[in-house]
Amino acid sequence: MIDDHPMIIEGYKNTLLGENQKEYQIKIDIASNCDDAYASIVKSSETVPYDMLFVDIKLPPSSDGSITSGEDLAKHAKELLPKSKIIILTMHREDHRIHNILKNINPAGFLIKSDLTSSELLLAFNNILKGKAYYSATVNDHFRKMMTNKFSLDEKNLKILYHLSRGVKTKNLPNYVSLSLSAIEKRKNQIKEMFSIAKADDQMLLEEARKRGFI
Amino acid sequence: MLRLFFRFMTFFSFVIVVGCYNSDQNIESEELKSNLIESYMDESVNKQNSIEERKNSLEKAYSICSTLNNSTFKIEKIQNISFTYYSLKDYENYKRMNEKALKLSTEINDSLNIARSYAYLGIYYRPSKLDIAYENFYEAEKIYASLSGNISRKEIAFDHGKVLVDLAQILRKTKDYGKSESITIKAIESFEEAENDLYIPMCYTNLGNLANSLEHYDEAIEYHLKAIEYAKGTDKEIPQTLTSFNNIGIVYKSQQKYDKAKEYYHKALSYTEFLSKRPRRHARLLDNLAYVNFLSKDEADIPDLFYMALKIRDSINDQNGIATNTLHLAEYYKSIAKDSIARVYAERSRDLSIKIQNNGDLLKVYRLLSDISDSKEGLSYANKYIVLNDSLIKEERLFRDKFARIRFETKEIAKENQQISRENQILIIAILGLTALFLLGYIIFRQQQSNKELLFAQTQQESNEEIYRLLLNQQIKLEEGRQMEQQRMSEELHDGVLGRLFGVRLSLDGINQRANDGFTEARNKYIDELKAIEKEIRLISHDLGAETLPSDVAYIDAVENLIKDLCEVHKIEFEFNNDEDIDWEGIDDQKKVNFFRILQESMQNIFKHAHADHIKINFDYVDSTINLTILDDGIGFKANKVKKGIGLKNITSRVSQMNGEVQFLSNEGSGTKVSVHVPIEAKVEEVY
Repeated sequence: MIDDHPMIIEGYKNTLLGENQKEYQIKIDIASNCDDAYASIVKSSETVPYDMLFVDIKLPPSSDGSITSGEDLAKHAKELLPKSKIIILTMHREDHRIHNILKNINPAGFLIKSDLTSSELLLAFNNILKGKAYYSATVNDHFRKMMTNKFSLDEKNLKILYHLSRGVKTKNLPNYVSLSLSAIEKRKNQIKEMFSIAKADDQMLLEEARKRGFI
Repeated sequence: MLRLFFRFMTFFSFVIVVGCYNSDQNIESEELKSNLIESYMDESVNKQNSIEERKNSLEKAYSICSTLNNSTFKIEKIQNISFTYYSLKDYENYKRMNEKALKLSTEINDSLNIARSYAYLGIYYRPSKLDIAYENFYEAEKIYASLSGNISRKEIAFDHGKVLVDLAQILRKTKDYGKSESITIKAIESFEEAENDLYIPMCYTNLGNLANSLEHYDEAIEYHLKAIEYAKGTDKEIPQTLTSFNNIGIVYKSQQKYDKAKEYYHKALSYTEFLSKRPRRHARLLDNLAYVNFLSKDEADIPDLFYMALKIRDSINDQNGIATNTLHLAEYYKSIAKDSIARVYAERSRDLSIKIQNNGDLLKVYRLLSDISDSKEGLSYANKYIVLNDSLIKEERLFRDKFARIRFETKEIAKENQQISRENQILIIAILGLTALFLLGYIIFRQQQSNKELLFAQTQQESNEEIYRLLLNQQIKLEEGRQMEQQRMSEELHDGVLGRLFGVRLSLDGINQRANDGFTEARNKYIDELKAIEKEIRLISHDLGAETLPSDVAYIDAVENLIKDLCEVHKIEFEFNNDEDIDWEGIDDQKKVNFFRILQESMQNIFKHAHADHIKINFDYVDSTINLTILDDGIGFKANKVKKGIGLKNITSRVSQMNGEVQFLSNEGSGTKVSVHVPIEAKVEEVY
């Protein structure tokens, strides 16, 4: 279990240990930062690999700066412990982040903390153990939205829309999306074309994006 | 009979003159008058008339003449009248006419005639009052000298020469030989310039006499011969020759070359036919010849020659001649020791000399008388001689002094005039200079004043802008601080509080699932409540963290605050829109300040004049141009009828500072629209 809040790990433990201790022998290692987590993963890959990893997205980065989030950590884990089931637990529920995580890590479980109850956690835990993936309702929602669209927006476009919807200025977007301003402008125009609102302003773009569920 | 007719005619024409005078036929009347004058003049020179009649004619001519308008014509007429008076030996009227001519020519500023009048008056005074004559000639000379280089140069040069000759002669008489000589030479030059030789012999005669007086005898003779040379072929040849021969005789006499002197006197006396008509000359030659004979002790023809001369002189009453003649006789009788006869002639000569003021002869008489009288009487004559001699010397000196003074005074006056005119000039220049200086000073003062004002306004504006900039920076910093704090709070809430709350809820939930005390449902409710709180916190965090107020909002905030404040004060509703595409952060402060001021200015105008209830202000961004539109629903104005006030001027100047355009659109009653378009260097386009 990787999370920088002891209280949260406490909550996971309380949930899992309280209910499942009869059926499974659960041994839990905890890490509160990327360094510790990475060390544990490496160690387990050499000895007994973990069956399941609970990964928070927002974590204190590793001291050498190579691992900055749970996302990076999960990528490493997938390589080192290919058989481990990865469960992402995060406070973030923004579409583009969900999208990203799904795409990059394809975790066995994807739980949004704010949705999460102990029973849901248990449900997820059991499903995953049985080999079934489990996603939170929010994540499923996202899936649904993505499926209903004839096309999909890539991560960068989603990011642009997301930040625009937060009120970030186009000219400030390069600070949030790793693209040049001109590239961002181009992408904005592409999105507008896809939405068939080529000459619309940003306000209309966001409205359309909301309607279509990209935000 | 003829004369009667003539008289009648003149009377008739006079009537016509009088009759026509008031009609506008002045020219005709002038003509008539001049005809009339001519006829009287003819009358006056008619030798058949008596002297008295001729004078009367002249008087009449003059009285008509004086009714003429002042003109050169009138002056010349008066001068002609004066000549006739002169020829009639009426010198007083001659003088009167010329004084009148002088006055008239001075009035009409006819300098040529002024000079002529002076010269004619000089001629009047010449025989009696040398000093006054000199003064007049001198005045005339001065004017002629200043007139040289005129159109009628030759004529003037001739008149000038005549005046110079007169001056030279007067100076010779007062024994100022050097001056006389130089003036005579000037006279010759004038005559040569005039190409008129008439008076050149006279000039050489004068030069000869001068040379004689200075004892340059050879020169004197040369001059006299030259005089004859110049007179040759003219109608004055004979009289000039006689004069010169006589003068040459005198020169030789002075040199004691009596034979030569006699030769020339004889030569002169050979012109018997001419001399028979000129007894005065004849007598003088005879007397001079006799005197030379007496001096050379050639006493064959004397005293007969003396008596011959004296007889002629007596017959024509030539008093000067008689005085000299009797003196010569007295000398002769004294030389032959006939003192009693000598005394008789001497006393006659003395009385006559005293009468006609022939001082030269008188002096000689006194000396002679002192020699031939007995001791007591002789002493008294000797004393008289000394007194007279002294007084003569004194008089000569006085004359010379006087002439010098005349010259000096006129020079002084000229100098004074020059001085005065120079002073005036200096005064005028000084006044002009001072005025110019004052004006310059005033202009500079005004310039400086307005410069100062301008400078003051500029510095004020600069400081205003500086203050504004500081305020803006302050606001930006404040904004940044606030945002940073918000961000921090957002993250804190999201990552810290929310995480822990989630942990707590999850733990509670987990424990709750396991508890079977019948309160599970109740606890679930609170757990849900916790979840709701989480959601709320998350939302708050999201709101805080979102970039709702990017840094460049600060400027627009300041703008909005300005609008809000002003509108609140003036109780006007407003609507404000700012295009988010405008990159206020990237726009330089100068432009931002200008926009700010334009807004301020426009709103002031609206508040002052428009009586608007509602204003709408928009910042739009189209094709890298910022368009500021300020719209009000006030009374408006006729755009072309309103003079641009300071407000509008300021707006215009600010806009042109930013290379922008401004339009003031208004119609009476339908509000006013101020549109400002300012191009912005688009960074976006540069990246493309």
